[in-house]
Amino acid sequence: MAENVQLFITCLIDTLYPEVGESVVRVLQRCGVSVEFPSGQTCCGQPAFNAGMRHEARRMAEHTIRVFEATRGALVVPSGSCAAMIRHRYAELFADDPQWLPRVQNLAERTYELTEFLVDKLGITALRAAFPGTIAYHASCHLLRELHVDRQPRLLLQTIPKARVIELPAAQECCGFGGVFSVEHPELSTAMLERKIHNILTSGADVVVACDTGCIMHINGGLHRRRLPTRVFHIAQVLDETGTFNQIPFKPDKQQSKTA
Amino acid sequence: MTTPFRRSIRQSLANSQLQQALDANAERRAHARQEALQRFGAEWDALRQQAHLVRAEVIAHLDHYLEQFTAQAQANGIQVHHATSAEQAVEQVLQICKKNQARLVAKSKSMVSEEIHLNQALEKRGIRVVETDLGEFIVQLRGEHPAHIITPAVHLRRQEVGKTFQEKLGIPYTDEIPALVQAARQTLRKVFLESDLGISGVNFGVAEDGTLCLVTNEGNGRMVVTLPRLHIALMGIERLLPTRQDLALMLRLLPRSATGQKLSVYTSLIRQPSIIPSGTPTQRHLILLDNGRQRLRNSPLREILYCIRCGACLNICPVFREIGGHAYVGAHGENAPYSGPMGAALMPGLFGRSDFGHLARASSLCGACKEACPVDIDLPSLLLRVRAGWQAAGERQPRAANAPFVLQTALRLFTWAATNPGRYDLAQRVAGALSRLLTSDQWMRLPAFTGWGYSKDFPRPASRPFRDRFPSLNASRAQEEHDRPKRAQPEQEKNPPSVVESTTDQLERFADELRQVGGTFIRCQRADLPDCLATCLQERGIDSLLAWEAELLPTGALEQIPPLGIQISHHPDPDAAAGITGALAAIAETGSLLLAEQPGAPLAVSLLPRLHIVLLDAHQIVESVAEALSLPQARAASSAVLITGPSRTADIEMSLTIGVHGPAELVVICWD
Repeated sequence: MAENVQLFITCLIDTLYPEVGESVVRVLQRCGVSVEFPSGQTCCGQPAFNAGMRHEARRMAEHTIRVFEATRGALVVPSGSCAAMIRHRYAELFADDPQWLPRVQNLAERTYELTEFLVDKLGITALRAAFPGTIAYHASCHLLRELHVDRQPRLLLQTIPKARVIELPAAQECCGFGGVFSVEHPELSTAMLERKIHNILTSGADVVVACDTGCIMHINGGLHRRRLPTRVFHIAQVLDETGTFNQIPFKPDKQQSKTA
Repeated sequence: MTTPFRRSIRQSLANSQLQQALDANAERRAHARQEALQRFGAEWDALRQQAHLVRAEVIAHLDHYLEQFTAQAQANGIQVHHATSAEQAVEQVLQICKKNQARLVAKSKSMVSEEIHLNQALEKRGIRVVETDLGEFIVQLRGEHPAHIITPAVHLRRQEVGKTFQEKLGIPYTDEIPALVQAARQTLRKVFLESDLGISGVNFGVAEDGTLCLVTNEGNGRMVVTLPRLHIALMGIERLLPTRQDLALMLRLLPRSATGQKLSVYTSLIRQPSIIPSGTPTQRHLILLDNGRQRLRNSPLREILYCIRCGACLNICPVFREIGGHAYVGAHGENAPYSGPMGAALMPGLFGRSDFGHLARASSLCGACKEACPVDIDLPSLLLRVRAGWQAAGERQPRAANAPFVLQTALRLFTWAATNPGRYDLAQRVAGALSRLLTSDQWMRLPAFTGWGYSKDFPRPASRPFRDRFPSLNASRAQEEHDRPKRAQPEQEKNPPSVVESTTDQLERFADELRQVGGTFIRCQRADLPDCLATCLQERGIDSLLAWEAELLPTGALEQIPPLGIQISHHPDPDAAAGITGALAAIAETGSLLLAEQPGAPLAVSLLPRLHIVLLDAHQIVESVAEALSLPQARAASSAVLITGPSRTADIEMSLTIGVHGPAELVVICWD
């Protein structure tokens, strides 16, 4: 019996990282899940919410709720902070609205972050991916501290054949993205990013893995500006053995990172 | 346009001394806290939730608890003053000074006094105020504000303190921390003895019996509330707890979160002026300050009133770590006494969003503060509410966000697109096509003024967004079925091992804990007590001592002392080398001693000398702080103190130095 899930791909993956989305779909399908993609979906509203623009955030939340309440099955989100937005923040947006609150709750109960869904709902312990290098895991803030998901992605990484998973120093420290924070306070955001980059470089990892494209966009943007070859990947890319990740030549990168 | 806040952020980031000092703070405090919490496991979170409920109850029924607390304190002989504003509180202090002709004030740490700018007001009237907490003392000498709510000199390194002491105290330059601490001790000892008035803050007020609880490490707080003839305690109205049991709970959480200690060295419990004839202080005043708190209580920011000022959120905050407390300034560059995550919620809550609302925007919302908070305040949610325009003016309707105009415009446009799939689709395509006109690379280099371009490149939007790719992905699935990944039953969350109750007896555990906090434990037979005490004094070359009246000590305990030629005084003599006391109880879980004031047993005996010797009957050992606080004599005491080790400070570079204002050595002689 194939389980039906609704994929909420998030605006960042949709627009900037469609290849991550492809990996997400392949990983879910490999796990025997039938993936549906309601095409009316856009953005959960987190950018406006974090900026303090509740009216705008609410309009986007209403849109998202309407799109998904017409569907059935779990809502799978390959991003910790977008999943946390739906699970925890929507309730605050609609706190004074008894008509919307039950609809919010219904959606929140169906919503899972990707690795949480794979491990806790499907009981997956290992995928067929293989990676002959060292992986360090960056714990995204909202995934870790709002959804309390940490064991699940680490478990999936640890069971990858040939991969060596090492601990990123201060793995739980914020990378400095914070959505609008990164553009409103570039100096602070940069200082935090420098710390993260320093930790990535000293870890000696070939690749860093995270479950949130916000952090990935931020850290990679910083690494690229500094001409550093190390990259952060989405966990779906690592777990998807047919994806682009496994065609990336890591060895030259590794040598470069040593000279960097 | 650069705001004062942005300017101060840049200055802090460019200050390498400050960066080193802040890194050291973050690392040492985080480590200490982690160590302190390790043995708790899941119980820690249960305690936090319990504490959250206690604080929620107090804030929900604040008027009731205030009334009860005020009535109890007054019945105990404390003069209670209610101040609605900073000006009123300052005026009340000035009036008390005037009436009692106070000229010199010894002050221990009080964030409320920073909030109301008390020092400046007193100085203006010709009253000299000396800060006696080491960190505050340093900051005052430098003409600065505290940079942290519990570690005022967190921004300084030892060399800077050395230079300050050289300039202001006229001592030869040294960057040795123990020498700096001794210099402060000598200077401040005079102030304690000569001051007419002691001003302190309050950590908790207990509503059921009017107790004021003060938690300190150096001993200056005890000096300030014990030696001068007058004492004024300053307290925000929200710092109440219903019962002593609630206090015991908070005392498990506060020191561990603040400094990683099981209990701070001195936990003072004050109920009355001194009951000793000719003892001090003869008057105790309590000023209960509102200053916006009632208004804040009726706003969506009310949860910030649960705060118990441990500083854990500052120590864990990645933003505070980059800029320190001084960078938190208002719209006109004014200092924010409360900084870090709690300050970013409290400052706009108390003093308005227009002046301080911008502080709440300087957060990545990483949530480390909520996780570290011992009373589980949802700080990220509060910061988000400040951003959304809520402030403590009683209104519940969201007002306009305080986001910059450009950002608001961009997000409005985005919302317009994202609430309609057709528009959204089009926007994606336009972004994809436009970005290809701008660059042929995978990355775009945006100009610095965009914020992002300041230090990061931006990924080029895809020419084919995911929504275009999905249909083909879905069609190509099917033949994968044969190779299913491994499944297992979802791993159950293992029950973390509960704290194992040690089976070793209380005496052993008390001795262990005492040694861990730097105390000395000596065990003897009752009959050998006088000899044991005499030996202890002789070994240390003691020539004069203070002691409780003989009848309050075990019979004959002091009898071997006069033959040694050691002077015994029963009146607090600041020059005595040792103090000998009994104790009301000792606590196995923390290695603490509980002493209560009574005629013939002034608290100064355990405070003034460099050596404090406690004579303890093993039967007086109890298990927990909660048990000790509820002993009938502890409840009835005019003043009591829990002593946990010799006095200490970590105010300079978080480096532990033993022996500040209180005793440098604590010896417990115990018989059973």
